Amino acid sequence: MNDLDFNRDKDLAKDFLSNFADSNGDAKYMNILQDVANRKTKAIEIELEDLADYKDLDEEFIRRIAENTKRYITILASAIDELMPEPTEALPDDDHDILMTQRSEEATENTDGSDPKQKMPPEIKRFYEVYIKASSKGRPFTIREVKASYIGQLVRISGIVTRCSDVKPLMQVAVYTCEECGFEIYQEVTARVFMPLFECPSYRCKVNKAKGNLILQLRASKFLKFQEAKIQELAEHVPKGHIPRSMTVHFRGELTRKVSPGDVVELSGIFLPMPYTGFRAMRAGLIADTYLEAMSVSHFKKKYEDYELRGDEEEQIARLAEDGDIYNKLSRSLAPEIFGHEDIKKALLLLLVGAPHRKLKDGMKIRGDLHICLMGDPGVAKSQLLKHIINVAPRGVYTTGKGSSGVGLTAAVQKDPVTNEMVLEGGALVLADMGICAIDEFDKMDESDRTAIHEVMEQQTVSIAKAGITTSLNARTAVLAAANPAWGRYDMRRTPAENINLPPALLSRFDLLWLILDRADMDSDLEMARHVVYVHQNKESPALGFTPLEPSVLRAYISAARRLSPSIPKELEEYIAGAYSSIRQEEAKSNTPHSYTTVRTLLSILRISAALARLRFSEKVAQSDVDEALRLMQMSKFSLYSDDRQKAGLDAISDIYSILRDEAARMNRLELSYAQALNWISRKGYSEAQLKECLEEYAALNVWQIHPDSFNIRFIDA
Amino acid sequence: MVGLPYDCLANPLGAVRLTFEKAVASGSDPATFEGKDWGATDLFRQFIFDDGGLSQVPFLNPSTMTWVQPNTLVRFWGMIQDMLGNEFYVGAYKEGETWRTNKFADFSQFPMAVDSSPDMRVWERRLLYCVPVPGQNSWIEHSSESLFNPSSISSPLQREKRHREDDTAINDIDMQVTDEEVHACTSNKKMREGGIASNSSNTGDTLNEDIDSSTSVLPYFDRTSFPCLVKIYDSPESNLKLNDVFEFIGVFTFDPEFPVDKNDTNDLESSLCDDTLTQMPPSRVPRLHCLVHRKLATQDFISGSPTFELKSHLVKSIREALLGHLTSILGNDGVAANLITFSFYLQVHARVDSIAVGKLSLNLTCFNKETLSVFGHRLNLALKNLLPFTHCIPLSVDYLNKVSLVPKKDYQTNRLASGILQLAEGSHLTIDETQLQAGTLNSTGVENARVLRNLLELQKVEYDFTYYKMDMPADIQLLVLSEGKSNILPADLVLPLCPVSVDAAQDVETEVLRSWRWYLATMRSLSHTIEKEMQKVLEDDLVAARQADRSLSSLDFSRLLTMGRLVSLSFGETSLTLEHWKMANELERLRKERLQGSL
Repeated sequence: MNDLDFNRDKDLAKDFLSNFADSNGDAKYMNILQDVANRKTKAIEIELEDLADYKDLDEEFIRRIAENTKRYITILASAIDELMPEPTEALPDDDHDILMTQRSEEATENTDGSDPKQKMPPEIKRFYEVYIKASSKGRPFTIREVKASYIGQLVRISGIVTRCSDVKPLMQVAVYTCEECGFEIYQEVTARVFMPLFECPSYRCKVNKAKGNLILQLRASKFLKFQEAKIQELAEHVPKGHIPRSMTVHFRGELTRKVSPGDVVELSGIFLPMPYTGFRAMRAGLIADTYLEAMSVSHFKKKYEDYELRGDEEEQIARLAEDGDIYNKLSRSLAPEIFGHEDIKKALLLLLVGAPHRKLKDGMKIRGDLHICLMGDPGVAKSQLLKHIINVAPRGVYTTGKGSSGVGLTAAVQKDPVTNEMVLEGGALVLADMGICAIDEFDKMDESDRTAIHEVMEQQTVSIAKAGITTSLNARTAVLAAANPAWGRYDMRRTPAENINLPPALLSRFDLLWLILDRADMDSDLEMARHVVYVHQNKESPALGFTPLEPSVLRAYISAARRLSPSIPKELEEYIAGAYSSIRQEEAKSNTPHSYTTVRTLLSILRISAALARLRFSEKVAQSDVDEALRLMQMSKFSLYSDDRQKAGLDAISDIYSILRDEAARMNRLELSYAQALNWISRKGYSEAQLKECLEEYAALNVWQIHPDSFNIRFIDA
Repeated sequence: MVGLPYDCLANPLGAVRLTFEKAVASGSDPATFEGKDWGATDLFRQFIFDDGGLSQVPFLNPSTMTWVQPNTLVRFWGMIQDMLGNEFYVGAYKEGETWRTNKFADFSQFPMAVDSSPDMRVWERRLLYCVPVPGQNSWIEHSSESLFNPSSISSPLQREKRHREDDTAINDIDMQVTDEEVHACTSNKKMREGGIASNSSNTGDTLNEDIDSSTSVLPYFDRTSFPCLVKIYDSPESNLKLNDVFEFIGVFTFDPEFPVDKNDTNDLESSLCDDTLTQMPPSRVPRLHCLVHRKLATQDFISGSPTFELKSHLVKSIREALLGHLTSILGNDGVAANLITFSFYLQVHARVDSIAVGKLSLNLTCFNKETLSVFGHRLNLALKNLLPFTHCIPLSVDYLNKVSLVPKKDYQTNRLASGILQLAEGSHLTIDETQLQAGTLNSTGVENARVLRNLLELQKVEYDFTYYKMDMPADIQLLVLSEGKSNILPADLVLPLCPVSVDAAQDVETEVLRSWRWYLATMRSLSHTIEKEMQKVLEDDLVAARQADRSLSSLDFSRLLTMGRLVSLSFGETSLTLEHWKMANELERLRKERLQGSL
């Protein structure tokens, strides 16, 4: 490529910069240039995407920029030099400006400035930096995928920052003055090391053979901030049986201090070879080190609300949303390898979705996060469920009640070993802010953490008053806890309260509580035996009978659902109030209440219903949502107390009958639709099969008539 | 190919160059190679495997280091301990009008104007840091050395010939090579003498003295840790995995005169300097430019032994003899001997939803001071003699608190610092819990205990990368020795040892040992299936067992099936038969009985 080409490309760049209009019709880059002229900003970030959107530009130009980025940055910079507008605001002159005016005055005085070393390089006049940001379309590279063929090109990669150097000045233009002739000599530095000039190369000195001594002028030279960092591949990008790769990244100017170790970042930058210098070059022979010259940094957003949908995902979600059975489909796709537990999975799905936070006028906050506690015998895959949920959630922390470090679950004040300052370090709950915190072995938690968790679960903050630091940290997290029964295994002879070794104050904060018991029955045994034999035989899991959705799809769907904040329509208020009061009534009737239905319960119902409405992408909570919420709550209760009910002597069939009869009496009707009946009994924790059995049995007794097609019930008036 | 114009063995680079020139001559443009092979590896493959060149390739180990010439073909057996990422090198460049290549070489063979040539192609190769397999038992080295020691296999004449060829080859190069290279060669000879001296003093101190603290992670010229930096070309990434044991055949380079430049690193570079050159200077870690590599199975380590035919009666007799031997070692405890042999054929053959199928760890209990000193010692000896890689961890509070079991990434040096649990596939690990006393574990200790537990339960080791942990699948045969049932390390099978009598330890003939090793290695590599007919029987049996005993979980089912598989494998069968299934159940019954009895 010759200069002519570059000149043409410079004109193209000028045309683009002055004429590009963003979606609002503003001249985006001219505005930035004006800001630069007014010294409001220093960085000019040119997005390749804008170039692609620009009407007059050809693909070739973009390709050239992407493949020879380093060269094109200078071209763009010289284009910007020519376009730079006058400042519109009065600016106080700083040292730099004074130097510049002096220089330009001198330049006009001296006519023997034909010497290239004396010509001021454009770099020193610039008070901005040009960056080219790669297009954010498509997937970023992993470090492993950046091959030798990408050298010199603009690439976009993702990784985790493992090490950062201090920010140091890097000389960009070295300025010398000559002792003899007094000229300023400029030397542009492009590499990390440079050979200083010692002899004045100016025309006058050369003619006089003066060999004037050069003195480096630090004040006049131009420096850039420079930082070196290492990034490493993310765990999920490393193929099985391999070690994560790492890469050196150089940050310059405004991009320094943007990352710190542990950050997950997406970088775009130029992949460049770094020639070895001096002694090492001799020995290294043919090997070149490489680095990435960073052009843009963006931190990974790990919150649902910030999740950006990709084009195809949006479509997929729309298709899923149209499908009526989305609730079942999504819940089944959670931990598909764990057999059964449909209702628990549904509850966990709702935990992921959550309800909107409410802030009342008087400043009171009502949490929207659902808390769920799983309790059960060892080896019923509780931990696996927890880990899977954390995998699906974009921001999740998995910890054990005992196993968390000195910082514990909440927060701790620690002394920084370097500065000796007291620093506040967040524990698992604080780290999971706006996400999900899964706590395994909840029952084995430290006493101090357990008291703190009361606050976290209702107020969603962690308050700390230690070592002179009094503060309150946000912990807006949904708690998913797993606990073992008090005696290791669930003891059937004792009451549930004795088995659950947690204080009622803590338990009441959970919206749903599930007991997973390892019950004995032939079918499940056979199922298990089959599964194990199959695994040993075929070295893979048996087919599931459905294709579970990918975790990424789940995540996308859930994040889309979380954007809604459904409200409860007026006409439902009555209904919910009625349901709530009936639960209270029932409890009052029973002589041994298992649970304390409080206002918290009511809030739970509202939360679960709202989460269900979100799943349907609806702005309004429907009655069916409330019914499902009630059913889930009932199911969770029955998972705890179903044995009691059997002791009480009521068999399922007659219980169903009494429920239906009471309901009909309450509504003062003789007819019940099948759907209504199913709705009522499922709320009490019975299955459809049991309902059918009941219908047949009592129809035979001529208590009611069943419509042969619709199964609607008509009581025979006695 | 008859009458090769080059010697693959002594001048492999010459052969590479020839094929390159041939490829260029035949019209392909090196600019489009992008580092891909142009026929050189095929040539070496043919030489090594088809023309029987393998046996002539010398092994690279501390003893051969002293006489192997640089830039010759060598082979190295090792485990991939760390992956150092890619290295970019000038793969091909134009000198005048001719293309040259630098593939498989550290330095250019021709003087090269570094930045003048526009026709320079940068290619990449992968760096693997390999070490001898941890826990390798001495008998392996015997077999390999007896075979490949030049004095025993190649006649003096051959050796001399090779020397001569070396010299001519070097001379060939010398004519075109810079002074530097010649200097390196001569200094190599000097070094060789130095190497012998240091080896005879058996410490390598002479070489170690200038190693500063940062590189002390690489102890040098020690028999057990003889690292080698292998440079891989052309092979897809998925072929070589961490902790795999491989045979690498390639060009050996070693530069003992490479000065360690301590002063060269200025402030700017020292901040994040981690390049391999300063950490692993060529003067300490030999390089191997890999031409051909292959994964090694356990059988390859017993190549010296006669190969038996897989006949059922032969297998049976070997099995009986081996069992008898182990039984007598364990004081006539047949059940224990049976269960211990299980772990020898063990192989995690699939991972399904985080469960490792085919794992089976054994916990022998009822060890006290006396029995341990007798049986524990004997058992260890027997294991060492039978298995290629064994390890023993003496578990104590102090040990747990101090040792680093898990490999950890060191970001200062950008290296993976190895831990004790970085083991090759199929290693045998004995954990001796009898020395454990009451005490307090610090956080390292708790973490270590958790790691061991994870290994037992899931056959996984979590490597520590500071910012995240990565699960590395492991395939390790585990044996726990303890006084009572170990609660820290929940093994799949718990069996109290009941020695009846103490026989005098009997010596086993080498020939017999060999046949046993062969038997174990072969049985382990057999594939095994469960036929459709057996499936129903198994399912019914399992359901019946669970109906009888509610406490059986799916893990117990899995364990029983694994036992069945191992029993039938021990007979050399490839599918489970009813008879062997019954045997497994019988063993399980005996074990349970004894467990009940000991309570």
